[in-house]
Amino acid sequence: MEIVRIEDLRWKYSEAREYTLKGVNLFLEEGKFLGIVGPNGAGKTTLVYTLNGLIPYRYNGIKKGRVFIYGHDTEATPVEKLTSWVGLVFSDPEAQFTSMTVEDELVFGMENIGLDRKEIKARLEWVTELTNTASLLEKPPYELSGGQKQRVAIASVLAMKPKLLIMDEPTSMLDPIGRETIFEVIARLKQEEGITIIAIEHNLELLAAVADDMALLNDGQIIFQAQTREFFNNYDLLIANQIYPPEVTQMAGILRKEGYWPGSLPLNIEQARKQISKSLVRAV
Amino acid sequence: MAAYIDVQNLSYSYPDGTLALRKVNLRVNNGDFLALIGQNGSGKTTLSKCLNGILKPTDGTVLVDGFDTSTASVAEMVRRVGYVFQNPDHQIFNSNVYDEIAYGPRNIGLREAEVKDRVIEATRVVGLKDEHLSVHPFFLPKGLRQRVAIASILALRPKVIIVDEPTTGQDMYQSFEIMNFLTELHEKNGHIIIIVTHDMPIVARYAKRVVVMAMGQIIMDGPTAEVFSHPEELSKSFVKPPQITRLGQSLLTYGFPPNILRVEEMAAVVKEKMVFTP
Repeated sequence: MEIVRIEDLRWKYSEAREYTLKGVNLFLEEGKFLGIVGPNGAGKTTLVYTLNGLIPYRYNGIKKGRVFIYGHDTEATPVEKLTSWVGLVFSDPEAQFTSMTVEDELVFGMENIGLDRKEIKARLEWVTELTNTASLLEKPPYELSGGQKQRVAIASVLAMKPKLLIMDEPTSMLDPIGRETIFEVIARLKQEEGITIIAIEHNLELLAAVADDMALLNDGQIIFQAQTREFFNNYDLLIANQIYPPEVTQMAGILRKEGYWPGSLPLNIEQARKQISKSLVRAV
Repeated sequence: MAAYIDVQNLSYSYPDGTLALRKVNLRVNNGDFLALIGQNGSGKTTLSKCLNGILKPTDGTVLVDGFDTSTASVAEMVRRVGYVFQNPDHQIFNSNVYDEIAYGPRNIGLREAEVKDRVIEATRVVGLKDEHLSVHPFFLPKGLRQRVAIASILALRPKVIIVDEPTTGQDMYQSFEIMNFLTELHEKNGHIIIIVTHDMPIVARYAKRVVVMAMGQIIMDGPTAEVFSHPEELSKSFVKPPQITRLGQSLLTYGFPPNILRVEEMAAVVKEKMVFTP
């Protein structure tokens, strides 16, 4: 079932000279995990703002083309309805914290939409287990480490049970351990909850491991969208758009150019190791 | 040869009692391009801030070019070691680029003619154009703001430039740009460069020496290829070598070396093995 459909979307912020989005077309099926990549300034954040109504309701500008969530045109749909479908986690989690404890932070949104005590308690247990934040409930958000803050930010959005979870660079402020724990949470969401996810992320090594589909945005347009393995197989196109695939993919891309890599490009160490050892055995 | 920065038995506790560094010894030499790595809380940022006297030792000493950081003046320190903050917006506070870059030189009491020379020199080095000088820094894109931040440090002509998380929030292309620029400063102008970072592919590609920290101590210190060839040791600081290095390490039985640092290097090794395996 279709959850997102974008048709020839153009958007210009009122204070900007040029259009940020210049004719975007995008389709996403429910339950899929879509990774969006593109150089800084390509329009990635602007694009996801069009999905939960921040654009055009919060920002001023000129919009052409249409955005559909579950077949509903976002411009003909009340924001409350959009925000109940679409949850957005910002890249800087502090920007979304308002409460003095993590528990209040998680409960705030649920109280706001009028859930009863029992439901709030049940959801609280569910999200804290899923995001491994139960031990943090008493703490003030500003005392948490970067990785903990990011998990709380995800939990507070998940507590609203969105159909579509969007994460804008969820790991950009984290150390390698923090990054991996966030991607473990994301992998669980995908496997256990079947929730639809869109993630903008520069770390392609982590993204390639979990995304079903990938889209490349550059200069306000979707240049290419495909299943993850096929996406990274288009090595030259990615490099031409200043996107650097995982290192093992880059290595195989270089070798393929010189005629030394048969088959598709690997996305992780295991795939690369197997392909290399197989061809070396064959050479023997 | 005397080290340019000589850290001896350095311990540091924050006012709340947290012991962030325990008896650290480190010698930073001329010609170093050094990466300081380790998980959050390992002490790497605290150590980097002790290297130019932003933080003073609780115990032990830090000598910079012979000056003891606990007694040296700010002016003596900033001429020797410059510190570029992770977020350039945390250090930019003037309303135009010229004044931002001129702030340091003015502050150490240079005459305005000399200040102007320094600003122009620093502007050229970082590749900013004259028309940028009158612009409000916040109207520049982040990459250029970072260059303004670096220029304002360069205008003090320090020997050592410390950059905290140079690639955070940048895409890969921007990361390569900023790192190529630091390499140029290192190679052409002889600056000692110290980066504090979590970005292992960047460390592998650019740093000549790696210092690994865990729990307030230095647990490894050596040439980059040497440090990354010991993954078990690195894991004590929850650090992994770059993906391409780990691929090589997973192929040791086929005679791959454990210290491949770059994608191109790995491609060359694979090719050689395919061609020469009889």
